[in-house]
Amino acid sequence: MKIDKSLKFVILYLLIVILFYQYNLKEAKGAEPVSDAESPYHVSIKNFPAFELPALKNESEKSYLGHTETGNFNIGQIKAKVLIIELFSFYCPHCQRAAPKVNELYQEMQKQDAIKEKIKIIGIGVGNSDYEVNSFKNTYQIPFPLFPDKSMGIFKLLQARSTPTFIGIKVNENGSLEQFYLREGGFDDIQKFLAEIIKLSGMESGDKNEQTKK
Amino acid sequence: MNKQKNKCRYLLYLSAFMIVTGITAAYGQPDKFIESIYPVGKLKPTDTVSKLKVGDPAPDFTLPAVAGGKISLGQYAGKHNVVISFVPAAWTPVCSDQWPGYNISRDLFEKYDAVLLGITVDNIPTLYSWIKQMSTPKEKIWFPVLSDFYPHGEVASRYGVLRSEGVSERALFVINKKGIIVYIDIHDINERPFLEDLAKALEEANKQ
Repeated sequence: MKIDKSLKFVILYLLIVILFYQYNLKEAKGAEPVSDAESPYHVSIKNFPAFELPALKNESEKSYLGHTETGNFNIGQIKAKVLIIELFSFYCPHCQRAAPKVNELYQEMQKQDAIKEKIKIIGIGVGNSDYEVNSFKNTYQIPFPLFPDKSMGIFKLLQARSTPTFIGIKVNENGSLEQFYLREGGFDDIQKFLAEIIKLSGMESGDKNEQTKK
Repeated sequence: MNKQKNKCRYLLYLSAFMIVTGITAAYGQPDKFIESIYPVGKLKPTDTVSKLKVGDPAPDFTLPAVAGGKISLGQYAGKHNVVISFVPAAWTPVCSDQWPGYNISRDLFEKYDAVLLGITVDNIPTLYSWIKQMSTPKEKIWFPVLSDFYPHGEVASRYGVLRSEGVSERALFVINKKGIIVYIDIHDINERPFLEDLAKALEEANKQ
């Protein structure tokens, strides 16, 4: 198969254009922390701040998070190996669009016995009052606990930039917290999202180690 | 002839490859709506002198609606309570999420027999694009959005909320069925009013 000179030139030109285009897109994405070649959402932040949340409102929330005491509590007290934190706002149309999908994620997590007790999810309403967080919960029938961050103190502490943002935290046995996931914006594929959380948290290898010990 | 055919085939393959890589790459880009919001920075919290007070009759007005036709305040007299939400400008922070919050709070307005009128000093085409972007696929903006563009900011001016730079304050007026102003919140332009304050005002208005 012979390719004449002019065609070679055209191919070369197009390849350069494609490479240039791809390079520019990566540059434009900019500040997204990329520390894992396989996932743009992988981050590794040791000593994640163990911030406080307002008291849980009812027994089902207490039972889900495995925290029975009354009053404010620390996220490190949540009974889970992995905690997914959704930063949302009642006022943000993207969070409104994402809400049914996040509900589906919760339902899927509840269905899978292997992860049901290990991965938990909470939502934090950035700049929202308790009233607004409750309105959001009622509008979208959100089954997992939501907390207000009226003064945006948590949002600032986590140095977040927009909503919705999904943060993945590993709760280590010594009580320390480690962030391994950061996603700005919603997601379409629940299974893919969940698989990525499981993989990047190292839960799978942790389970294998536990089994070997036994 | 064969050479020519091959050439075409190569070009076709390459174009297809380019389109596919282009689409995949573009899919991961940040949301265009957020990118389109103009960063205004911190503004002077309020920039007007009140012309109206609680207890005054609400000045009547007629403005063109984005959905077509014109809407007058007077058409709701004796029938519904009215909330007027002035927001400073389309495509700016805070304004771009205040109305999406009201958009999922229709039940609240209906509970207290209130209609919501959203007003800015932007023209109709700008408002059309802006509210289209803030609607969710399931929930289009349900309340009338009115343009106070020409004569520029005339209604905002009559309500005492036209700022010196030509945009309006971030202001809420609740008007009862008798056409009387029962609640005024000329809010810090940089911050969003909390929904519970409006809910409380609506509850009060509906008792009257």
